[in-house]
Amino acid sequence: MDQRILEFIGDLRRAEIRISPSEALDALSASAEIGLSDRDTFRTALASTLIKESRDLATFERLFNLYFLDLQALGEGLQKALGPEDPRVRDLLEQLLGEEGMELDDLTELLLRGQGSEMEMAIRASGRGAGLERLMYFLQVGFFSRRIADSFDWSAVEADLERLMKVLEERGLDPGQLARIRNYLELRLEAFKRMIRQHVERELERRAWRQGEKLTREVLSDKPLFALTADEVAQMKNVVARLARKIKDALALRQRQEQRGRLDTRRTTRKSLQYGGVPMEIYLKRRHREKPKLITICDVSDSVRNASRFMLQLVWNLQECFSRVRSYAFVSEIAEVTQAFNTYPVERAIEWALKGAPIDYHCRSDFGYAFSRFARTELDSLDRKTTILVLGDARNNYNDPQAWALRLIRERVKGIIWLNPEGQWGWGIGDSVMPMYAPSCDYVRECRTIAQLGEVVDNLVHHWWRKGR
Amino acid sequence: MFQSVEEVQERFREGRYIASRRVATVVFLAARMGRPVLIEGPAGVGKTELAKTLSEVSGRPLIRLQCYEGLDEGKALYEWKYAKQLLYTQLLRERIGELIADAPSLPDAVARIAGQEDAFFSFRFLSPRPLLQAILATEPVVLLVDEIDKAEPEFEAFLLEVLSDFQVSVPELGTVGARHIPFVVLTSNNARELSDGLKRRCLHLFIDFPAPADELAIIRLKVPEVPAELAKAVVNAVQKIRAMDLRKLPSVSESLDWARSLVILNARELDPAIVESTLSMLVKHEKDLERVKGALDKVLAD
Repeated sequence: MDQRILEFIGDLRRAEIRISPSEALDALSASAEIGLSDRDTFRTALASTLIKESRDLATFERLFNLYFLDLQALGEGLQKALGPEDPRVRDLLEQLLGEEGMELDDLTELLLRGQGSEMEMAIRASGRGAGLERLMYFLQVGFFSRRIADSFDWSAVEADLERLMKVLEERGLDPGQLARIRNYLELRLEAFKRMIRQHVERELERRAWRQGEKLTREVLSDKPLFALTADEVAQMKNVVARLARKIKDALALRQRQEQRGRLDTRRTTRKSLQYGGVPMEIYLKRRHREKPKLITICDVSDSVRNASRFMLQLVWNLQECFSRVRSYAFVSEIAEVTQAFNTYPVERAIEWALKGAPIDYHCRSDFGYAFSRFARTELDSLDRKTTILVLGDARNNYNDPQAWALRLIRERVKGIIWLNPEGQWGWGIGDSVMPMYAPSCDYVRECRTIAQLGEVVDNLVHHWWRKGR
Repeated sequence: MFQSVEEVQERFREGRYIASRRVATVVFLAARMGRPVLIEGPAGVGKTELAKTLSEVSGRPLIRLQCYEGLDEGKALYEWKYAKQLLYTQLLRERIGELIADAPSLPDAVARIAGQEDAFFSFRFLSPRPLLQAILATEPVVLLVDEIDKAEPEFEAFLLEVLSDFQVSVPELGTVGARHIPFVVLTSNNARELSDGLKRRCLHLFIDFPAPADELAIIRLKVPEVPAELAKAVVNAVQKIRAMDLRKLPSVSESLDWARSLVILNARELDPAIVESTLSMLVKHEKDLERVKGALDKVLAD
């Protein structure tokens, strides 16, 4: 069983739940204390030793169900397969098996009397022998089931059963009873074979889950944002949330480290007067770092909507890294969407910004118009602490780019960062006016995937306002 | 301390605390493995109560350390009784004078006083705070570290050190080790993320709002005067209110308060008038209150 728990821990780790060796040891000793008799208690024992964040509990539950078969439910299933059990048949068998001289094969013994859990253990053991770790596709289920089944010595079982029937016959049981016993034995045999198949299927499911998790994290975060399906967008939310947490964790660590600083001679001297000029207490200059104000301006036209969605989510998850965050959405008309985030939860606010803001979503994007409107109405609220984050593909549909507006805005703020969800090779080709805007920006990045988006925001949070610009 | 999970459940029940199987399992494991328990969950679901009941049913005294912002080692571990030390030196001035009267030189006098240092830096002048109390205790205790998330990360790191080897060094006295490993219960409201180290040390228990049946049992146990029908109605209403989108969801302690106030008002059933006048026992924010009042008929529906 320990082996099984360790395997389980391995999969939890692969699902990005951090489990230290000491926690793994705790889980083993806890399960030893508790035993396996009660599934719920066993689950609690594992959960309390392994899972330290309530947000990881759902993953734990799912994996737990894949790993640890609900023996009770299985037992009931077996019962159902066997039909209403005839107590007399059972007693008779018990009696027979207890007698001297009835040397039976281990497997027969297991089949006749074994509990579900023992059967499962036997199947698992031979599964390892049958190379079950190579199981990958659904089509292989039959093959591996057969292979596991073949690893048992059925001829011995059959011989045993024949012998058993013969003994019973000799005892003068009537044909009806004999038929019932034969039926019973066959059903148990059938149930055992079914269990093998079930075991293989579950193993496949577990593997698929493992693959799926990996896919979500790795492939999805490198997939171009415009190509995501609705399902993938939903999955992506978790990826973005995890990304935000990672950035925030790293930041918290830095802030703590930065508490140290150079000696503050003025305050130290003043305090020393209290002790007759001896500097008993030392004061250090704390380096203050101002949190930036952030304004995001997102193109929410169809082509880049996904990118905008994730950037909004990421930025709002990182809100405490900024002193103020304001968001604007535009297609050609531009509108502030910040207030939605104050009234709704983030998810709903993003939906609203992408679909319900008071702008026309069906016209063609016009960056020039949006920037000139922004410059006209918001210029006064900009200052040197503000960083502007623009997200858009700069495909202006051959409208006037009005690059002067962006230049004007640049003069008022600390910097402009432009994230373009389109590959760099396309900039300046066709109706892309990226090269005209680029000179006003401090920093232009291609941002086609969530991994790239994460990198940029991470960079922004950690380095951007360090340079003291 | 306990022989089985069932026994934990049974004894907690005797101590007037309804412990779910999950809670009982974790308590049992913690007792067996000698590990601290970290309890997380919304306010008012009985996190602190669990520790209190544990101390009651196990017969171990409870030592409580309430955390807050600015809590430091001095307040949690020990402090020297400066005033008493000063007072004693004043009172004993003459004796000290005698002691050094015939010292031939200054260094000699200093050496003699240093020889008596132990008299002033002894347990007599030490006032032990909860952590040291738990370590010095002559019998096994339950140590409750309440709302650890309110203390600063630095304190958490210090606590981790104490919890990992249950010994404390007082520079003037040397290292003091615990005679008995205390049963440690930490509670957190998740005001901030706790450090990984601390979480790793502890068994983790998340207590959520109880299931309707459990909540009913809790109300019947804690407020036995409430009629069965009314208790059911209370649980029903509370469950519905919890499903609403409120700033602060009513917790078990609030539903108990509500049940009590209904008993005092001699209510037989939940009619809208009485609910409206007692609702503030349950819902504590003005805006929430308005919202619940607006949906009162839904809340009271069966």
